[in-house]
Formats: sequence, structure tokens, C-alpha cells
Amino acid sequence: MLRAQLRRQAQVGTKSTAEARMQGLVVFSVAGHRLAVRTDEIGGVMPWPGATVVLTSDTPFVTSLVRQDQRCLPVFDLAARFSRIMHENEPLCLIVNHVDGPLAICIDSQVPSLHMVPRSAMHYCVGNDPDIAGTCVAGDEELPIINLTTLGSHRSVQ
Amino acid sequence: MGLRGHRTATASGGQTVRFLVALIGPAHVAFPAHWIRGILTLVEAGPADLLTWGDISYERTDLAGRLTIAPEIPTTDTRIILYSNDQRFRSFMVDGVLGLVDVERMQIQALPPQFRGGERVRLLGFFADTAYIALIANPFWVLELPPPKNVLDAFVLQTPERRGGERDARPRLPSIALEDAVSSSAHVK
Repeated sequence: MLRAQLRRQAQVGTKSTAEARMQGLVVFSVAGHRLAVRTDEIGGVMPWPGATVVLTSDTPFVTSLVRQDQRCLPVFDLAARFSRIMHENEPLCLIVNHVDGPLAICIDSQVPSLHMVPRSAMHYCVGNDPDIAGTCVAGDEELPIINLTTLGSHRSVQ
Repeated sequence: MGLRGHRTATASGGQTVRFLVALIGPAHVAFPAHWIRGILTLVEAGPADLLTWGDISYERTDLAGRLTIAPEIPTTDTRIILYSNDQRFRSFMVDGVLGLVDVERMQIQALPPQFRGGERVRLLGFFADTAYIALIANPFWVLELPPPKNVLDAFVLQTPERRGGERDARPRLPSIALEDAVSSSAHVK
């Protein structure tokens, strides 16, 4: 009995160790630019809610609000952040668990895919771009890992 | 009260703020109504830089430009808003007037903290109607005055209950003339 319990615990331990060595990533694209983000940084994906209210903001890339369910969320223009232009007719809305509160990002209509990636396949590095944490290999692609939770918070405002 | 263009956006009692909702370009901009002194057509306002109405002169300010919103080409819906706190007098053009709306204080939301620039000075926040989201212009910024803390508190119109004998010190709308002006100016887009 005790031996069986120990064996079960050992199996659970092995499984949780293996899980600990994996990282959940969501791969999505913005104006054709493919990016990866840790799953815990994402609050949801849904069809783009509709028209935005432009604030003529001085904050780089945070220029509008969008109505989502019963609330209004600030919108981060990630396409503009990468000097790209969205050409989607039916874009999706990525809800980000940002440090300052929920944030909406307009992404391509291609549904984001979930990948479990070995931590060894993730390469964190400190570069010039504080919004990029490093790179990873998801599927057959090497992709930049984006820090969505701190997106824009490093940028100075006029 | 039978006033076209005036309605209440609240279902329950509580502190409310009355706004005049106007269009500037594509944006719905709400102005705390307590400082509105009049709404004029372009013909009534005339072309002068200093607009005199009722023996008071209102300096014109390009509010759309200051908000960096491209205004529409003037139409018959275009109006000139006279805005003042009795110390500073300004007039500005809007592309249309939707009407007066009473908004419960709790429905007024501050700008999310992700907005970190000058928009926090220009705008007090926003409220969501079923048909639109209205951005609340900071009335002190409109008049080019330094803003106090808790700006909106100065414009709260109603409280749910007052104790017996307590004097009502709440600000009042300047006159029924404002509602008459809105009534004749309001349109629905």
C-alpha cells in the first residue's frame, strides 16, 4: 500500500516536473507580424467589438477606447508599434492582462494558437526593445516573445 | 420635462452631473453644463474674434484644434458654445449639439492609467451611453484655467438625501435659457 502510494507520488512528481519545464505560449499575428506571448499575459480573445473612440492622445500607441461587454478598454495600436498597418476586415481583439489594467489589442483574424514549448526553447535576452523579452521556437518558427503586460509603460510621454 | 435633447442616463438616484454633449469631428465631447452660457448659430455669433453676447465678450478659442481633432466643414448644425465661470469667458465651435444629459457620478469613468500624456489634462474621463462614448472635456482646461483637485465634484447637481434644515448649496444651471437653447439646437446623428 505504502509502496503503491510512493509510486503514484513519484509519477505525479515526474509529471509536474515535466510541466514545469514547459511554457504555455500564445502565437498571434498583427498586420502579418507573428509574435509569441506567455499565456498568463492574455485575458481572452474575441471578435473585434467595433468602432473605437479616438482620444487624440499624447501617449504613444494608446490613442483610443473600445467598448467591450459592459466596459470600455484602452486600445494599444500594436500594428503601429511595429510600423505596420492593419488591413483586416474582421480582426480579433486580444485582451491583455496589463499591469495598469485590461488592455485591448487589435490582431489579425487568424485565430491565435496555443503552444506548449520547452523552456529550453525560450531564449530571454535584454535588447534595445523593452517590449521584446527574447525569442522562442514554437512549432517550426522562431518568434519574438513580446511583453504584453508592460507594453508601452517604458515609453516616455510628451 | 418635455425638453427635446434632454434626458437622464441614470436609472437610480444619486449624485449626477449634467453635461452638454456635442460633436467635434467624429468625437462626442461632453461639457459640464453648469458653465454653459449659451448656444448660438454661426449667423448669431458673427465672424468677430471677440464674440459679444448679452453685454459680455467671449474670446474665441479653437477647441477642436486644441483637442487636435479635425473639425467638419461648418453646416447648419454647427454651433458656437459660450462657456464661462464668470471669471474667464470663452466661445468655441462644435459641429453639432446632441443635448443635455444627466449622468450618475458612478457612471463617469476616469481615463485608464495607460493614458499617460496631456490627454489627462484635457479630459476628465468619459461615460458610455448606449449609442456613444462621450469624452468629458476638462472645463478648466477649456477656459485655460489651472484645474483644482476633484474637478467633477464642483459640478455635482444632486444628492439623494439631505438632513432636515440643511441648506442646498448645489450649483444650479445658469438659467432655463440654456435648456431652451439646447432644445432648439439639439439634433440626433
